[in-house]
Amino acid sequence: MIVNQLIDKAMKKAQGAQASLGKSEATNVSFENDRLKSIKSSQSTGMSLKVIVDGKIGSSHTTDIEDIDGIVKRALEAAEFGSPAHFEFPGFQKGKDVKVYDAGVESISTDTMVGLSEEMLALVKKYNQDILLNAGAGKNVNNFQFANSAGAEYSSEATNYSVWVDGQLIRGTDILWAGHSIAWKKLEIDHVKIANKAIDLFKMAEVIAPVKSGKMPVIFTPEGLNVLLLALSLGFDGKNVFLGSSPLSDKMGKKIADERFSITDSPLIDYAAGSSIYDGEGVPHQVTPIIENGILKNFLYDLDTAGRAGKKTTGNGVGCDATNLVIKEGATPFRDMVKNIKEGLLVHSVLGLGQGNPVSGEFSVNILLGYKIENGEIVGRVKNVMLAGNTYDALNNIVAIGDKGEWVGGALFTPPIQVGKLSVVAR
Amino acid sequence: MRERIERALRKSEAEYTEIRIETVISSWVNFRGEDLDNIGSSKTVGGIVRALFKGGWGYSIFNDLNDLDKRVKEACSSALLVGKEQSKFAEVETVVDEIKASFGKDFRDISLSEKKSVIEEYNRIILSYSEKIETSAIGYNDTFGKIYYGNSEGTYIEDERPDASVSLLATAREGDNVQRGFESVAGGSGFQIVEGLQEKAEGAAKRAVELLSAPPVNGGKYTVVINPKLAGVFAHEAFGHLSEADFVYENNRMKELMVLGKRMGPDILNIIDDGTMPNLRGTHKYDDEGVKTKKNYLIKDGILAGRLHSRETAAKMGEQPTGNARAIDYQYQPIVRMTNTYIDKGKSKFDDMLRDIKLGLYAVDMVGGQTSMEMFTFSAAYGYMIRDGKIAELVRDVVLTGNVFETLMNIDMVGDTVECPPAGGGCGKDGQSPLPVGFGGPYVRIQNVVVGGRQ
Repeated sequence: MIVNQLIDKAMKKAQGAQASLGKSEATNVSFENDRLKSIKSSQSTGMSLKVIVDGKIGSSHTTDIEDIDGIVKRALEAAEFGSPAHFEFPGFQKGKDVKVYDAGVESISTDTMVGLSEEMLALVKKYNQDILLNAGAGKNVNNFQFANSAGAEYSSEATNYSVWVDGQLIRGTDILWAGHSIAWKKLEIDHVKIANKAIDLFKMAEVIAPVKSGKMPVIFTPEGLNVLLLALSLGFDGKNVFLGSSPLSDKMGKKIADERFSITDSPLIDYAAGSSIYDGEGVPHQVTPIIENGILKNFLYDLDTAGRAGKKTTGNGVGCDATNLVIKEGATPFRDMVKNIKEGLLVHSVLGLGQGNPVSGEFSVNILLGYKIENGEIVGRVKNVMLAGNTYDALNNIVAIGDKGEWVGGALFTPPIQVGKLSVVAR
Repeated sequence: MRERIERALRKSEAEYTEIRIETVISSWVNFRGEDLDNIGSSKTVGGIVRALFKGGWGYSIFNDLNDLDKRVKEACSSALLVGKEQSKFAEVETVVDEIKASFGKDFRDISLSEKKSVIEEYNRIILSYSEKIETSAIGYNDTFGKIYYGNSEGTYIEDERPDASVSLLATAREGDNVQRGFESVAGGSGFQIVEGLQEKAEGAAKRAVELLSAPPVNGGKYTVVINPKLAGVFAHEAFGHLSEADFVYENNRMKELMVLGKRMGPDILNIIDDGTMPNLRGTHKYDDEGVKTKKNYLIKDGILAGRLHSRETAAKMGEQPTGNARAIDYQYQPIVRMTNTYIDKGKSKFDDMLRDIKLGLYAVDMVGGQTSMEMFTFSAAYGYMIRDGKIAELVRDVVLTGNVFETLMNIDMVGDTVECPPAGGGCGKDGQSPLPVGFGGPYVRIQNVVVGGRQ
């Protein structure tokens, strides 16, 4: 394998090395403004090398997989001035099996992807002719090789498949956007369900409902939960914890959320978008509980950050990022959640998320797609409304957790969650 | 390369075909806290073939340059499968040109150790500023791109595109209160623009510490004065995206909303997109369809005066191409994008803007923004309350929102000096992010702006 050649060349000067090589083939069909617009095919290659020389790390990357001498030279050069290594490359450890390849994805034809996109368009158009639609489907097949100088070595073949539809409805100067998509590693995606989900979002938005500024309860749909998850994800990132920029850094073992709230990093779910046997450093993936019954249990680490912090890697390399996040289902049917609200909001998507100081937990966002709840019923869409609060306060102030989770994209599984009062500023 | 590209283009069966090949050399140095986080370099080579047939597009993307003919065929057969109508593609002058970058200190000749030592100093300044500084994140990045572009009409361009940037983030902390100060410098320039930033580093640290004792802004409706850096983001989000013709050209209702000649703002409002301004991040001689960039008025004297086009959107709307088809890299087809967007100067002085404000907000510097065409947000790095015509206390978590059909009309004063800071700015659209863009403006006063926050 090429990765072994890279390791051999690098080890003439280095005391440790890690190499990877990826090859990918992809096809995407894309409908824009109600019509088939383009078909895109891509062939891509890339290889990366990380070396440790005299205790210092250097890395390099290239798309030219023939440039073996060049990449080795540049990585060694970088190591001369590199950051001190706080870890050693791990030897081979056998990982747990997880399904990441579906032959059906490899064999699905362009015609089929065009056909199912057309069906989604037709369904949404049948609901409302005036919605201008984009839709499409995409697939890719990745081959990946990995090795390091300590004897870890693996190769993998993975598929990815995605289907999406979104539309825009203009009435007067009112512009409404809604849509739905799924992306994961198997072919099994119900495109009719995706179209119907988009239709539901449009249906609930037929009327614009006025909102007055004030404090009110908010239900986040599974998609809308990203408002809270952004700060939380930055908070349990081991690097932010080690550097002290996470407000959670001194909260290990403490209660930081409602006792019904549990969230897990879960890379071993068959065909989920963030799944694989090993992380990017050859460490076997593991299931890591982050918050269990409201108690902070673990942060996510990669090799170097774990080394610096005196912890063990959780298989979240490189970068301490989550793989798939799973939030535990609660006990309240969504319908009951809505029924119990006299005046409140259902938030599905927002504008401006993360464009303040997200790690602090504060958020202040415009509700892009959200609905007014009045006397237990969803009465219409809200507009020109800002929602503000603090993620950590909100997690401690959970009123109800939905009894049924859903996949968002392909790497987050969560039920809807209702939190107590948040600040709303309307025009 | 020219011969290879032209030979491959001759294999095309489509009505129009282009090949864009990019080589990019880049290097980076990042500090997080006391430690160097990573240092390295990369070399990328890749390309895209784009073919048009009966209104349908085929794209083929590749890293391996050895079989260009095959990629051309692949793009053509995709286009043939898609195309069922009539192609519309604006005529432009064919050009043959070779652009050599002149950008001062060539960062390719500077060693990684020197790059490291320059930003290491900034990192030291931040970390030693105060005991309250918890950590830092300092990033240096340079890229030297070379584009080889050829199309079936005979245009051939070689274009060198340098870009250098530094970002300086200071994080201060007291208990659970974590605040940040941020500065960045970026441009199509040489190494000189990342040197001499000691004051900016200190400024970032100072701001982070000061924000620890600043309260979050109270949500509500305010008269807002924005500074030039934030005015640029405002122009970009509040209006720039709506002027991108690909949102309009096949959308009859949007066409009605965006008829040229329609009043969008007061007489004092002028918004311009200009891809020719020296050394800004959005500047190039040609866009990624080989069309010359130029200065385009989007709003002139408050009236919708123009929009940004690709060759396709221009032809479909019967307007002229503007040189705004851009791609972030070889993995993407060009789409309609902004270059450098700014609000033009007016006649007001900053102090006059404040004078009659009883309770208002002065919002300073940008963090970012987002738009859904109609509604938009833009975030300030920090702000000050304005009380009885004077700048008062510092406030944090300042996020402003607006509605394009109302907020522009609420602009009532425009400052008399335009600044286009060489700050790092990246724009995202249709999965292509971050595209380097420039922005700027004068001080601008806006009435009745909704500011998010707790009450």
